Amino acid sequence: MGTNRSAITRPSTSSGRTGSARGISPAAIAARIRRDPAVASAVLSLWLLLALFVIYPLAMLLARVLVDQGTFTTAGLAAVVTDRHQMRAFWNSLLLGSLVGIVGTFLGFLFAFTAARGRLPRWLLTAIDTAVLLPLVSPPFTTAIAMIFSFGPRGLITYELLGIKGYTVYGLDSTLFSEAVTYFPIAYLTLRPILAAIDSNIEGMALSLGASRWRVFRTVTLPLTIPGLANAFLLLFAASLADFATPLILAGNSFPVLPTQAFLQITGLFDLRGGAALSFVLLVPALIVFLLQRYWVSRRYYVTVTGKGAGQTPFVSVSPGARNALLLACALITLVIVYFYALLLYASVVVALGANHAFTLQHYRVIFTDGLKAIRDTLIIAGIAMPLGGLYGILLGYLVAKKSFVGRRSMELVSMINYALPGTIVGIAYLIAFNDRPFVLTGTALIIVACYIFRYGPTGIRATVALLQQIDRSLEEASQGLGAGSGTTFRRITLPLVLPAFFAGLGVVFIRSMTAISATIFLVSISWTLITVKILENITELSLGPAAAFSVLVVAIVFVVIAIIGRLLKLFRAPGAVAMTSVFGG
Amino acid sequence: MTRVSVALHVDGVSKRYLHRVKGEIYAARDVRLDVRPGEFLTLLGPSGCGKTTTLRMIAGFEKPDAGRIHFDGQDVTDLPANQRNIGFVFQNYALFPHLSVFENAAYGLRVRGLAADAIARSVGEVLALVGLAGYEQQFSAQLSGGEQQRVALARAIVIEPRVLLFDEPLSNLDAKLRVQMRHEIRALQRRLGITTVYVTHDQEEAMAVSDRIVVMDHGSVVQQGTAEDLYYRPASQFVAGFIGRVNLIAGTATRTPDGRPGVAALGTVIAAAQVPEGLALGDAVQLMIRPEALAIARGGEPAALRATVVSCTFLGEKVEYLLRCAGETLHSVRYNAGPAELVPEGVEVGLRMAEDAVNILPGERP
Repeated sequence: MGTNRSAITRPSTSSGRTGSARGISPAAIAARIRRDPAVASAVLSLWLLLALFVIYPLAMLLARVLVDQGTFTTAGLAAVVTDRHQMRAFWNSLLLGSLVGIVGTFLGFLFAFTAARGRLPRWLLTAIDTAVLLPLVSPPFTTAIAMIFSFGPRGLITYELLGIKGYTVYGLDSTLFSEAVTYFPIAYLTLRPILAAIDSNIEGMALSLGASRWRVFRTVTLPLTIPGLANAFLLLFAASLADFATPLILAGNSFPVLPTQAFLQITGLFDLRGGAALSFVLLVPALIVFLLQRYWVSRRYYVTVTGKGAGQTPFVSVSPGARNALLLACALITLVIVYFYALLLYASVVVALGANHAFTLQHYRVIFTDGLKAIRDTLIIAGIAMPLGGLYGILLGYLVAKKSFVGRRSMELVSMINYALPGTIVGIAYLIAFNDRPFVLTGTALIIVACYIFRYGPTGIRATVALLQQIDRSLEEASQGLGAGSGTTFRRITLPLVLPAFFAGLGVVFIRSMTAISATIFLVSISWTLITVKILENITELSLGPAAAFSVLVVAIVFVVIAIIGRLLKLFRAPGAVAMTSVFGG
Repeated sequence: MTRVSVALHVDGVSKRYLHRVKGEIYAARDVRLDVRPGEFLTLLGPSGCGKTTTLRMIAGFEKPDAGRIHFDGQDVTDLPANQRNIGFVFQNYALFPHLSVFENAAYGLRVRGLAADAIARSVGEVLALVGLAGYEQQFSAQLSGGEQQRVALARAIVIEPRVLLFDEPLSNLDAKLRVQMRHEIRALQRRLGITTVYVTHDQEEAMAVSDRIVVMDHGSVVQQGTAEDLYYRPASQFVAGFIGRVNLIAGTATRTPDGRPGVAALGTVIAAAQVPEGLALGDAVQLMIRPEALAIARGGEPAALRATVVSCTFLGEKVEYLLRCAGETLHSVRYNAGPAELVPEGVEVGLRMAEDAVNILPGERP
C-alpha cells in the first residue's frame, strides 16, 4: 500500500500538497481557518512580515530604479548600461565570480574527497573541520587584512622576506585568492555529505569489475558528484558576486566590481538612484544563479543526502600514494589559513606589523574604549536577532513543511529572497524603503535586526524543513492514535525533534549578526553601529592594529557561541533523534 | 444489526482519491465489516486493494467520503483519532526516536493524565508481557527490528484500546522472526481478548493469525470467511489464486452421466463439489483444483485422467510435479513421498482427483 500512496493525491487530508492543484473555494478557506485558527493567524502574520521586510523593500528598490516622478523609465538603467566603467565592473563581477567558483569548488572537492575517502583519524578530521570553519565565521575582512599584512607595501612576505619593493597586492589575483580561501569551505560543506553518501559498494563493484582506482574515480565517483559540484560552483559564484568587503580592500581601482561600485556611488557620491540602478544590474545574475541552483541543480542529485552520515565502512578507494598527496595538498592550504589567522592575532598585539614588532595591548585598549559602543551595539543587535531569527525559522519551516495552506510554496520562495540576494541589494533596498514614511526605521536598531532576521533566518527554515522531511508522518499519527491532540503532539513529538534546527538557526543568525557587513553598512547610524563597520573604518584610516584586534575579538566571540550551541545541541539531542551534521551545511 | 455482539461495525465506507494519471479512483468502495468482541479479523489483499485505507479510516487517520464507523454501537465517524481509544501498530513502528522505551510505552498513559506510579506499574507490566523487561531506558535506535516491533505493540496495548489495529506490522522483519512474531501477536491477542483488525498482503500470515479473513481487491471486499472457507470454497478466481496455489482449467458447465453438476474439461467430464449460484448449462467456467488434491495414481489405482510428467522437483517434505494433460499444464504436490515413489520426467501417469476438492468458478480465464 505504501508504495502507491505517493502517486495518489489526497483530497481531504491535512498532509496533502494538493491545494493548488484542486482549486480552493473561498468557503473552503473559511472552513479551514475556523478549523485551525492558530495556523491561520501564524500564516497571516508571517505574510505581513514578509510583505513588509522582503517584498516592500524590493519593490521600492525597483520603483526607485524604474519610476521617475510617477512615470516608468529605463533612463537610470540605461545610464549604467552605457557607462563603460560600470559595465566593466559588471563583467569583472562575473569574471571574479566564475573564477572563485572554479577555484573554490576545486579546493572544496579536494578537502571533501580527502575527508570522505582518506581514512583520516578522527582528530585530523576535527582539525581540518575547525581550520576550514575559520574563514566562514570570521568578519569579512580577515583574509583581506592578512593579505595586506603579507603582501602589502610593507608585507611580511613580499617586503621583509623576499625584499620585493613596489609589489602591488591590489587587483584580481589577490581578490580571487582571498575570496577562494574565504569561500571554499562552502563547497567543502556541500560536497562532503554527497561523497560520504555515495554507497561505497558502488565503488567496490566497479573495482571488482577490473577498473583501476583512478578509473573508478573518473567513471563512478566523479560523475556521481557532478550535481554537487555544479551546486557548489553556483553557491560560490553567488557568494563572490555578493562579496563587497574583499574587493573594497583588495581589488583596487584597476579592478572595479559591482557591489563596491554601488557602495561608493551611495556613500561617496550620495547618489542613491545610481546605487540602486547598479544593484539592480547585480540582481539579474544573482537571481539567475539562485533559480538555477534551486530548480535545476538540486533536482539532479543521484544520491540522497540525509542527516545520517555515519555507519559506512570507508572503502579502500584511494591508493596510499594518492592519499598522501591529497593530505599534503590539504595540509598546505590549511597551513595558509592558519598562517593568516596567526598573523592577525600577532598583528593585534604588536605596535605596528611590518614596522615595530614590540608587544602591546594598546589595540585592545582602543577597541574597548573607542570601540566599546560598536561592540555593545553589535552584541545587543545579535542578541535580539538571534532568538527572533531562530523562532522565525522554525515557525515558517514547520508551516511550509507540515501544513497545507494557500500560497505555501510562494511563502517558502519569498522567505528565501533576502537570503539569496547579495547583501548590497538588500541593504540598499532597506535604505530606500525605510527612509521615508510610512515606515521610517532608518537610524534604529530595528532596521538592522529585521535585516538580519529575514536575511539569515532562512538557514533555520531550511534546516527545519530538512529535519521535518526526515520525520515520518506516522510519528505524529502514532501520537494522535494514543490520544494526544494536535497541541500535545506538536509539543511532545514534533518540537523536540526539530529543536536541532532551531539551534542551527540561532547559531547562524548570531554568527552572521556578528560578521556581516554588506547589507548593514547601509543601515548603521550614529545611534547604532557595528563592529564590522568599525573594522572597515579602521582599515580605511590605515589603523590596522585595532582592525586586527576587532577581528580577533569577533572570531573569539563566535567560537564561544558555537561551542555553547554545540553543547546545547548535544544536551537536547536525544539518542534517537536526527543528527544535525553542521550548523552551516548547505 | 445486533449491536451487542458487534465490537466494530464498518458500514459501507468509501474513500476516493484523485490519482494524477487515472483521475478519480476509489481506494475503498462500500466496505462493510462486522467484527465481534475479541475477534481477530484480517484484511488481506494485494498492494492498492484498499486494506490500509480501510484500516486508517477505522483508526480515524482518514475520513471516509461515505459510510459510518461504529465502535460498540457508538458512531465514531466524526471523532478524530485521538478520541477513539485505538491501539495502532504501524508498518515502520513509528517509535518516537527521542523517547526511551519506557517513555514510548508510557506516552498514551501520560496523555491520559495517569498518576506516575500507575504509569510505572502499567508500563512495567506491558513491557514484561512483550518480553522487554529491562529495556526501559533504551532508545529505538539501539533496538533490533523485533524489539522495536514489541515496543510498538506494548505502546498500543497498554492504553487498553477498544480496537487494536495492525498495518502490515511484520513486513520489515526477516522471515524467521516474522513467523515467531505472528505467533506472539496471536497469543497475546487471545490472552487479552482485544478486538483486532490486522492488515497484510501475506496470505500465509493471514491464515496463521486470523479468526476470520476479509479478502479485498480494487477497494472492495470480495469475500470474507475463515481460512478454510476461503481456501476450500473461494467465490472467485481472484480469491482462489490469492489464497494458496491453484490449478484453473477452462471448461464448460455440464452434468455428469449420473446427473451431478460437473464440468467438461481436459477431454472428459469431472464432477464438482462446489458450484456457483445461477450457473446454467453450457456456461464458460473454470475448473479449480488445488495441487495437493491432484495426485499421481499408484499402480492399480483407478485414474480419471492421463498425463505426462514434465518436471519433478524434490523439495524434501514434498515433491512438486508439473504435468501435461490434454494440452493444459497442471501442478501437483505430493507430501511425504517415499524415495521409491518419485516419478521421473517423461513418464506417462494416471491422475486421481479428490472429488470433494473440485470446484467450479464462474467466468473465463482472466
